[in-house]
Amino acid sequence: MIQLEGIEKTYVAGSVETRVLKDISVCIEAGEFVAIMGASGTGKSTLMNILGCLDMPTAGHYRLDGTDMVNLDDDALSHLRSQKIGFVFQMFYLLDRATALRNVMLPLIYADEYPDDAKARAGEALAAVSLADRMTYKPSQLSGGQQQRVAIARALIRNPSLLLADEPTGNLDRRSGLEILAIFQQLHRQGRTILLVTHDEAVARHAQRVIVLSNGMVAEDHSVAQPSDAQAELAAMPKEVSQ
Amino acid sequence: MNISRIFEEAAWSLAAHKLRTFLMMIGTLVSVLALTVILSAEKGTQIEVTKRIESFGTRLVKINTGGGKGYTKPLPNVTTLSMEDAEAIRSSLAGWDIVTSVAQRNNMPTKAGNKQSTASVYAVDADWHEAMDWPAVEGEGISGDDVATLAHACVLGAGLAKNLFGNENPVGSDIDIGNVRFRVKGVLIRHDVSPGGEDENIRVVVPLTTGLRRLYNQDHLSYIRVRMKNASQVPAMAKEIRLLLHERHNIVPPQEDDFSIVTAGEVAEAARGISLTLTRLLTALAVLALLVSGVVMMNILLLGVFQRKCEIGLRRATGATRRDVFAQFLCESLTVTLLGVAVGSFLGWTMSTLLLNFTKLKIAISWEPFALAAACSLIIGVIFGVLPAHRAARLNPVEALR
Repeated sequence: MIQLEGIEKTYVAGSVETRVLKDISVCIEAGEFVAIMGASGTGKSTLMNILGCLDMPTAGHYRLDGTDMVNLDDDALSHLRSQKIGFVFQMFYLLDRATALRNVMLPLIYADEYPDDAKARAGEALAAVSLADRMTYKPSQLSGGQQQRVAIARALIRNPSLLLADEPTGNLDRRSGLEILAIFQQLHRQGRTILLVTHDEAVARHAQRVIVLSNGMVAEDHSVAQPSDAQAELAAMPKEVSQ
Repeated sequence: MNISRIFEEAAWSLAAHKLRTFLMMIGTLVSVLALTVILSAEKGTQIEVTKRIESFGTRLVKINTGGGKGYTKPLPNVTTLSMEDAEAIRSSLAGWDIVTSVAQRNNMPTKAGNKQSTASVYAVDADWHEAMDWPAVEGEGISGDDVATLAHACVLGAGLAKNLFGNENPVGSDIDIGNVRFRVKGVLIRHDVSPGGEDENIRVVVPLTTGLRRLYNQDHLSYIRVRMKNASQVPAMAKEIRLLLHERHNIVPPQEDDFSIVTAGEVAEAARGISLTLTRLLTALAVLALLVSGVVMMNILLLGVFQRKCEIGLRRATGATRRDVFAQFLCESLTVTLLGVAVGSFLGWTMSTLLLNFTKLKIAISWEPFALAAACSLIIGVIFGVLPAHRAARLNPVEALR
């Protein structure tokens, strides 16, 4: 489903050229749950931006669902993002004055056609991340884990072919992080294609396949024989001590 | 692009950030309020001035006895304006149509049978009726013969006729003015009561000579009315009359005049109350305030673009095109402007109505000031809304989300 062929990305600042990505070629099939790992500065954010159609590679080909991303203008990229990609960010990026429901409905505004049942769909999306009883809450009234689940519901509302998560557990405690990973694993079982960018090996272990970037190139690409089961880990965690 | 959804987002965003919206709106609101009130006051003044000029007459040069500047009234104790002055104007100056002399006394007792009334008495030349465009509707007016023969004839104002004779026809009856008997030869057409509440119909008109000799026992006039053939000759005539009267009254400037000359210009100035220059200045200030409010709004919007970087980045990531973002920001500034115009217009209308009803200010409430204020505000709203919207739209989503 995703084909990267010789992707390069060079940033030019004045007379200084920085080659962030050098010749990356990767193939990802529909339904895969892939973790992209690497220390900071290895180009994983840049790769994520290219995969998310937020940025264009300097050279190479990126095909998503057969569409070649080369030479698309800004409007076309926006359209592709709207149709095919759901984002989950480390910082959640929820509108802090909007209710959970309104946040989840946001991507629908930019759909070709605004569905009549937008509210119902957003409600279902929230229910799917176990937030059916928090629809009218504002982000400030939700915990970090709950906010990230709202963000996941928002990413899924348009039923995208690709779910891109950039350090989704980076701002969460271990338990909330595991809950998020459990949701990803569940989505994976339902057949979603998920790309998870992380620097944390413990997080990457939950994916089915790990691609390690180093110095702008693919250093490792291996499948995980036995991915950790986030649900099981949660069950094994000591019960929270009530204060 | 789904414009109604974008507008809905803009409206939601404004509603969700009430303080920011209020701060953006307040300048427009106050400017529109000021502008509509000022323009309504100016329009009201304009109407009043036109009305006064029309009632005074654009072709008229009025010479009042007694000095003073601007719009004056005759001073009864100054005795230097004479029939000979009027004759001198007739004989030595050109361009006039009618020169008519008037000696006026207010509050004189009049009596017919057992009915009494106080009235203003006007001793006039025969051409007074034509000069004032005020003919007798019953009987006849004052004639040249009446003036030449010192006839004890009079013409009643409709109000005085009513006071003294009720519904009877007074023509042919006698009345006493003071203790001098006059025969009523006519009744003047009824004039509307002036907006100031003055009833000009409580008057009696007598021949000039009879009035001076038999009633007032004086030689001087209250005023001379000079009607020109052409309104454009009025300023030049006013100057010439001044020179002529200086000579005749032996006045050497800077010695003060013992007469004053009133034309439509003085009447207009007196009716204005507030000078046109001041109104123009106020209007300019209000427009400037509108401009400044536009700049303030732009600043808040620009700050908003910076503060809402993540929001913009997120919207772009979820599929918003540059045009979507641009449209939302422009919608926000336009909505704020429209709100400011609506509330400002309402307050302006309320204030104009209050001023009209509770002060002496001349206010004319009409749609034009509101349309003008709205148009100015919207133009300014668009101009100052475009730059922030453009900034927001140009924001690179990758950098916005960093």
